[in-house]
Amino acid sequence: MWDIITNIVPLALAYTAPLLIIALGGLYSERSGVVNIGLEGLMGIGAFTSALVISKTAGNLGHTAVYVGLLAAALAGGIFSVLHAFASVTMRSDQVVSGTAINILSAALTVYLARSLTGSANIQIVSGFIKRDVPVLSKIPVIGPLFFREAYITTLIVFLIVVFSWFILYYRPFGLRLRACGENPQAADSLGINVLKMRYIGVIISGVLAGLGGGIVITTYSGEFSPLVYSGLGFLALAALIFGKWNPWGVVGASLFFGLAKTVADMSKLFEGLKGMPNIIFNTFPYVVTLVALVLFSKNAAGPKAAGEPYDPGKR
Amino acid sequence: MSKKILSTVLAITVLVLSFATGCTNKQSTPSTQEKTKVGMVTDSGTIDDKSFNQGTWEGIKKYAADKGTIEEKYLQPSGEQETDYINAINDLVDSGYKIVVTPGFKFETAINKAADAHKDSTFILIDGMPHEEGKFDFVKHDNVVSVFFTEHEAGFLAGVASALSTKTNKLGFVGGMKIPPVEKFGIGFKAGVLYANKTFGTKAEIVDYIYQGTFDDVAAGQTLAAGMYNKGVDIIFHAAGGVGAGVFNEAKQRAEKGQKVWVVGVDVDQYETGKISNGSSVTLTSAMKRIDVAAYDYIDAKLNGNFPGGQIITLSLAENGVGLPENNPNLSADTITKVEQAKKDVLDKKITVPTSEDELAKFMK
Repeated sequence: MWDIITNIVPLALAYTAPLLIIALGGLYSERSGVVNIGLEGLMGIGAFTSALVISKTAGNLGHTAVYVGLLAAALAGGIFSVLHAFASVTMRSDQVVSGTAINILSAALTVYLARSLTGSANIQIVSGFIKRDVPVLSKIPVIGPLFFREAYITTLIVFLIVVFSWFILYYRPFGLRLRACGENPQAADSLGINVLKMRYIGVIISGVLAGLGGGIVITTYSGEFSPLVYSGLGFLALAALIFGKWNPWGVVGASLFFGLAKTVADMSKLFEGLKGMPNIIFNTFPYVVTLVALVLFSKNAAGPKAAGEPYDPGKR
Repeated sequence: MSKKILSTVLAITVLVLSFATGCTNKQSTPSTQEKTKVGMVTDSGTIDDKSFNQGTWEGIKKYAADKGTIEEKYLQPSGEQETDYINAINDLVDSGYKIVVTPGFKFETAINKAADAHKDSTFILIDGMPHEEGKFDFVKHDNVVSVFFTEHEAGFLAGVASALSTKTNKLGFVGGMKIPPVEKFGIGFKAGVLYANKTFGTKAEIVDYIYQGTFDDVAAGQTLAAGMYNKGVDIIFHAAGGVGAGVFNEAKQRAEKGQKVWVVGVDVDQYETGKISNGSSVTLTSAMKRIDVAAYDYIDAKLNGNFPGGQIITLSLAENGVGLPENNPNLSADTITKVEQAKKDVLDKKITVPTSEDELAKFMK
């Protein structure tokens, strides 16, 4: 049994990392009051950019290219999210419609660009990040084999960003202002906070993080950009955000939960002890749980109160 | 005011971009002489899937380049339902495409309907035969040729090569959906391992034999591969499309660390897919189906008036319709000789590669 667990947990963590960072991106956006259903598209932009940059620069930069690719992915996600911010914050359009447009545009645009720039919709990278044992830490009994063996460096980066985000959101004035804009923008405005600016920042951070998530997908478990990148990870991240009740640690828990369910579902075919388990339950798990969570939590609305509403200073 | 202009500009950019995407497939080659229009409808996945669609398309393009007598175009249907396929076929026929090539068993019922609706058009159905929904009896249409492959023979050779190459004596198989072509690859693989064990005294064993259930879950591919390699498996044969991309990714990451793990590719020569940063490849060999040859040959047959309409044709090892790639840098000379011997045994009909579990149980007994 222990053998199975040490096999599953590191892989589950690898799958969780991009999910978590995309969900965290969604958290910034929604906390600022903008629903971001376009996470999937922003992730795709990041995935495409990282694959393109890495495949073009790997010859000169070697392994550094992978980090350059990640940065480029975050940057591209951030830039692309300005579209969403412009439409939903400045133009006060329906945030769901604008987010959907981002998804549609991204899926078409990236495949088109991939074809016209490289001649194929599949951009392969020769090497991404490699799972390694963390020195010293992987020797700790119990925790070592679970969390520090066969780990990607990106997982560590993601968890650092989560801790940092939690600190920023709950212990710095910036976080308070951002959250205020998502709860009661009129009140925030009356206290001199530039709501539009805060919302732009929220959306752009979500773009940066979702783009980074896409880059992580490419450099860890996917290895190539293809239309298959749009497999719904962004929507799963939204589910994790809701299930995690728009709270960084809740999102961590939800993402881990989903990542673990997915990995157990995949791995169950490999181990005698798990073969009897019904696969379909694990595979549908995240979605069923999210539905149930929505039903249970919708009454005492855990989400930011003003999320989804364009800010209208004239409205009270 | 500036806001309005900005929003207009943005809207136009979006429009132009989405239009551009829709137009990528258009051919803009004005021709002086009359060319036969050959269309293709893609199966699940895109035209450059490094597998089925791409193989078919390459065959068509090669024909266009070689002979210059056809004008080619492909359509990606808007979904994977029968109606989506029929719509795409109708679109092609309506715009004058006389020959329609469709790769994949998913087209079976769609072609059955389309062939009746468009008697003047010719259909090349690769890896499937027309039949009615719910029934699996072959329906004969004089304007359809059905091309099948002996995947089990390709899988067999891959099995022999893997059994001879493994260092840990543990092999794995990852299939996509449990559909006949994938199953035949798997059964052939099992038979190949059995053959090598009996004939060459190898001690290889397939410890994991799994159908993932989809062709597109890349993450699951990596997870499965990681689990297998952790168990000591050193060669994984994948017949799983996008799931296989995950298998390759895991193998490449391990190879970068110096681990000796391999993947056996499928459908096309996947040597390039397996390349890692030092220039070597994790692709041991590939169990190939010459889809490109099938598309090429039957377009040629149609244009030269000897189209085998209404027939079911199976391309086998004997016609070079399946097999391993010509160059296998990762196989030792000894292995290659022995694989050739196995191939000869099949060609000389000394052995018949099984196609089902029942036949496998009797194989080499």
